[in-house]
Amino acid sequence: MLNQKKEKLPTPEVSFDTAREMSRYLKEPEAMYVGAPGKHGYLRMGFELDPRGKSILRDLERRAPLIVQQELYFDEEMPEMPCVYILSSGGPNIDGDRYRQDITVKKDAYAWVSTGAATKLAQMKYNYSGLIQNIVLEENAYLEFMPEPVIPCRNTRFISDTRLSVHETATMFYSEIFMGGRKYYKEGELFEYDILSVCSHGERPDGRELFREKFVIDPRVEHPRNLGVMSHFDIFANVIVMTPPDKASEIYDKTQVFIDNDKKLAAGITRLPNNAGLLYKVLGMEPGPVKKMVREFSSLVRQTVKGKKVPEEFPWR
Amino acid sequence: MAEINDMTRVMRLLQFTDSQFPVGTFSFSNGLETASFEGIVKDAKSLKEFARSQSHQAAYSDGVACLHAYRAFMNGDLKRCMEIDSYLFRFKMNDEARLMAVRMGKKLAELGVKLYSNNFVKELLDSINKGETPGMYPVVQGIMFALAGVSEKDLFCSHQYGVINMVLGAALRCVKVSHYDTQQILEDLSEYIERLYNEASVMELSDMNAFYPQLDILASLHEKGNMRMFMN
Repeated sequence: MLNQKKEKLPTPEVSFDTAREMSRYLKEPEAMYVGAPGKHGYLRMGFELDPRGKSILRDLERRAPLIVQQELYFDEEMPEMPCVYILSSGGPNIDGDRYRQDITVKKDAYAWVSTGAATKLAQMKYNYSGLIQNIVLEENAYLEFMPEPVIPCRNTRFISDTRLSVHETATMFYSEIFMGGRKYYKEGELFEYDILSVCSHGERPDGRELFREKFVIDPRVEHPRNLGVMSHFDIFANVIVMTPPDKASEIYDKTQVFIDNDKKLAAGITRLPNNAGLLYKVLGMEPGPVKKMVREFSSLVRQTVKGKKVPEEFPWR
Repeated sequence: MAEINDMTRVMRLLQFTDSQFPVGTFSFSNGLETASFEGIVKDAKSLKEFARSQSHQAAYSDGVACLHAYRAFMNGDLKRCMEIDSYLFRFKMNDEARLMAVRMGKKLAELGVKLYSNNFVKELLDSINKGETPGMYPVVQGIMFALAGVSEKDLFCSHQYGVINMVLGAALRCVKVSHYDTQQILEDLSEYIERLYNEASVMELSDMNAFYPQLDILASLHEKGNMRMFMN
């Protein structure tokens, strides 16, 4: 099933050294240098329909510490859907780590991608950890990308750039959950990271950009506890749904927005520019309820686009 | 553009910044109406925090764009202005905020054509009317200030004043605060403006950023709700 004969490509360059917000964090780590073997992960996955019309992981290239073994078909509501967990053999992302993930879902194919566990971002002293993602969805393709939360530690510096190239007929569900930190570690370690810089931009296959969302969280410049930022909430989820306008309207109309002071949860939705789709945001106190909100929202998207719901989460997740 | 004297420049700054300047700022509350309803903004202290967040959010997005548009006008580069306009539109995630920005931008461009009969602004308005460029308010604002001979720093102050005053003006109608409270908040927030300008003025468009999820959720509640004293 895997294309083992394909030659290994050179690891693509991943650098954010010119990013204004990272200019303070460009020292070479004293331990392993930036991008050393094992600190420069690369993953390329290509999903497509096989001759019998089954969606499979046809193309797979991975480089340590990123690991993907093979696709599994464990989704009980959509058993035809290939499901992939991205694992990391290196534990948390550390100082000077660089990652790149390229995912393509070809015409009419579909897939579900997550991570095996939360992505821990270790304490950093010299440099930063960077991630570039390119996700390409061809005509009528469908991808649910819903990794486990990201947990930044004290003095973490993390930057990512995610390009979502999505055909007008395709649907992309792209979620990210950011914890405020290791809430229950020692005396608590919320919002003690140095910086999180996250940019996601959507475009059409011809390269026409539709939207660009960038948030930079630097607690020394604007503390997340400030009113209007995260206030008393500890966890933030951001979900981008690129889907055709008729589907987007249906999802938008069915999505509940609220601020619930008893459950300590809040959710909002808006329409992305240029009819690109929707942007859904959740604020909460603990990962469980926030993950549940994101999952329920993904179920609404799947029901609208594929006519099938998302099954209950495994109890161990 | 002919040289203008200092007093005319100050008069224009006051004119463009006045809440009576007919671009419709009074119709919007920047989500304050919902924040008040939800009990998140309930007094002068929380109003100040809310207005401060609005001011900072605007500085690193709209503020950056208006400065770039100002400089593009000074270089006579309409194409660049339209690129900035389109970039800001793509960056503005909140649907109602986008709607507000294009409505006010078009009104300002129309006003600019009437006041100055300038070809650059005429061509811009033409492009807005043809749907070739969205006509975002901060971009048109940058162009207008440059056209009127008002300085870049004054533009940034006016932009910030507009954001803060829009919230404070709305607060008098939906939060239990007095005129004294709102003026004190304006006075207090003015202290941040120089630092914000120093940062925003050296930022590229690609540096624009915004992380205010609570404001986003409030805007969403307003967008999907039925509170309509203000447009947002």
